[in-house]
Amino acid sequence: MKIRAQIGMVLNLDKCIGCHTCSVTCKNVWTTRQGMEYAWFNNVETKPGTGYPSDWENQDRYHGGWKLDKGALHPRMGNKSGIMKGIFANPHLPQIDDYYEPFTFNYSILHKQAKFKTPPSARPYSMITGRLMEKIEKGPNWEDNLGGTFAKRSQDKNFDQVQKEILKEFENAFMLYLPRLCEHCLNPTCVAACPSGAIYKREEDGIVLIDQDACRGWRECVSACPYKKVYFNWQSKKSEKCTLCFPKIENGEPTICSESCVGRIRYLGVMLYDQDQIKALASTPDAEDLYDAQLKVFLDPNDPEVIKEARKQGITENYLKAAAASPVYKMVMDWKIALPLHPEFRTLPMVWYIPPLSPVQTAVDSGELGINGILPDVESLRIPVRYLANLFTGGKEKPVTNVLKKMLAMRAWMRAKSLDESPNPEILPEAGLSEAQVSEMYRYLALADYKDRYVLPTRMVKPNEDAYREKAEKGFDTNNSNRPRTNLFGGI
Amino acid sequence: MENYINNFLFTYLPHIAMAVFWFGLITRIVKTSRTIQAKSSQFLAGDGLKWGSNLFHYGIILVFIGHFTGLFTPEKLYHLVMTTATKRILAVSLGAVFGTLTFIGIIILIIRRFRNERIKLNSSPQDYFIIFLLLVEVGLGLASMATTATSSVENYAALGEWAQKIITFQPDAGAVIAGHSLIYKLHIVTGLFIFIIFPYTKLMHIMVLPIAYFFRSGYQLVRRR
Repeated sequence: MKIRAQIGMVLNLDKCIGCHTCSVTCKNVWTTRQGMEYAWFNNVETKPGTGYPSDWENQDRYHGGWKLDKGALHPRMGNKSGIMKGIFANPHLPQIDDYYEPFTFNYSILHKQAKFKTPPSARPYSMITGRLMEKIEKGPNWEDNLGGTFAKRSQDKNFDQVQKEILKEFENAFMLYLPRLCEHCLNPTCVAACPSGAIYKREEDGIVLIDQDACRGWRECVSACPYKKVYFNWQSKKSEKCTLCFPKIENGEPTICSESCVGRIRYLGVMLYDQDQIKALASTPDAEDLYDAQLKVFLDPNDPEVIKEARKQGITENYLKAAAASPVYKMVMDWKIALPLHPEFRTLPMVWYIPPLSPVQTAVDSGELGINGILPDVESLRIPVRYLANLFTGGKEKPVTNVLKKMLAMRAWMRAKSLDESPNPEILPEAGLSEAQVSEMYRYLALADYKDRYVLPTRMVKPNEDAYREKAEKGFDTNNSNRPRTNLFGGI
Repeated sequence: MENYINNFLFTYLPHIAMAVFWFGLITRIVKTSRTIQAKSSQFLAGDGLKWGSNLFHYGIILVFIGHFTGLFTPEKLYHLVMTTATKRILAVSLGAVFGTLTFIGIIILIIRRFRNERIKLNSSPQDYFIIFLLLVEVGLGLASMATTATSSVENYAALGEWAQKIITFQPDAGAVIAGHSLIYKLHIVTGLFIFIIFPYTKLMHIMVLPIAYFFRSGYQLVRRR
């Protein structure tokens, strides 16, 4: 057993209001440089929709993630020689138009020109060529709040196996927000596909990083990542990705996307796992079993045996203490209400999601929703369970309905309590929860206090390490762009 | 005078070129290693690369291997398996095939660079210079093949002899090819020029071709902070 620690994240989609504060703060901190205008380390997608980049979930198109080839695990792009064969012209590389062509507006014309024949307007200019763009075909967050046509949105890969009638109903009925960032996977394909060995997983906290000095721009990672969360800087011609704000994490602070989340939907905590099991678990034959398989990799941070062994293997006390109080462990393992995003990609992702309850109470009140014994019938919820299962469990519906039942049970129980009614005692056993668990879930999910949401240790300090002298040493630098360019319109 | 120029270009220049090449190579790797990279523009415009880039790269690698083994295998060694005449047939036929593929690849890449607005506006002068330099060099190489095929076997054998004299520091190297056709001489001088500028250009990405990938155990990489 090789014990390692990983910083994991949970997002409570039930509370996400799609305000994009996470995306904007992330953008301001990490991707304002030239060549990265189009890149959003964190973005919020409205589902159903094809997402960013378009159709990213469709691995028949992008060939990201892993595949099982006669029981052996290989990147879907091919094994090592398969990947190297395509090094001169990567056959699966997404194009910038799959994201969007970055643009800006010529505002200076508005105060320079004396007279306009037409009402004054600022026209868009491409940030790649500097030329006028006739029409903006796509932009950041293009499908926000179900923007665009249904014909386009229904190409969403998660609609596979969802019946057509539901689809139609669906259009008028529901949407959900899906904030996405790098999953900092336990079995990352980007690391595996990088021929230069520039991408690596950090031993102490599991953050996946790209060494900008070692990156040679072979761009294999971009197509290898099934979540399309490695971005190619077209100016420096190297890849960049979410760093999980490691300078903040090392300091015991939450990432900027979590910190700035106004809906308090994000949770950060330490997970202990057994590194030796990763390969076997990621090779689970049936895609539907991958969610259950991934749960087996985690170790109980309160088990004295695990603590003893972890200590022996060099995990520091502050990490062990944080792991024992980890909100991520509670949601993923204790309550089993958080699910991974697309476990069928076999990367063992470490950003987990609590699926949303689509408006239930209204539906119950208006008699649209059947009551199955004690709890509302989750199968008849507006978001087809099948759709959620395609997103979070590789198509297996049972774990999704279990989560939804637990969330409904918590609501019903707490509602009754706060209204001084006596709650139906059958609610909790029906959802498989105890009273203590429900009040703790309520504390974490509804109250969501800052210190409960983020339980982070400071970094494991090595002997003789002087963090003060090392500060501000790391990061992306901009001096590798070949030619200094002025602003498109000649100014600063 | 003619003798002097010949001596300079084909006895001394090769050594100067090699000195600059190795000095530049080492200093570039030691001092500015992070700037050695593939510089791919595929992300902005992928069209034309499937054929252009693959034909060019695979072609030129095979052409390079051909030059290397052809020029530096000593006569005594290859006479064990073939005569010089056979070797010439082999060299000309393989060279013609791979040289042509490389040439077609470069043409496709040039068309792409000029036709695609995004690439055109984001190309540096170096990008244009290198691609035309390679076009000229490959073109000269292809053109010289007619002379190789039609002239005497000794004429062909002298080329290898010259190269071997250079790397063994013989002072009479230049004299060996003094009487050769101009097309060889242009091909050689352009080639030496490429060696001289090599360490200071984007061509350096050859040096970071990730062969080590095959020797990495498994797929994953874990590093300490």
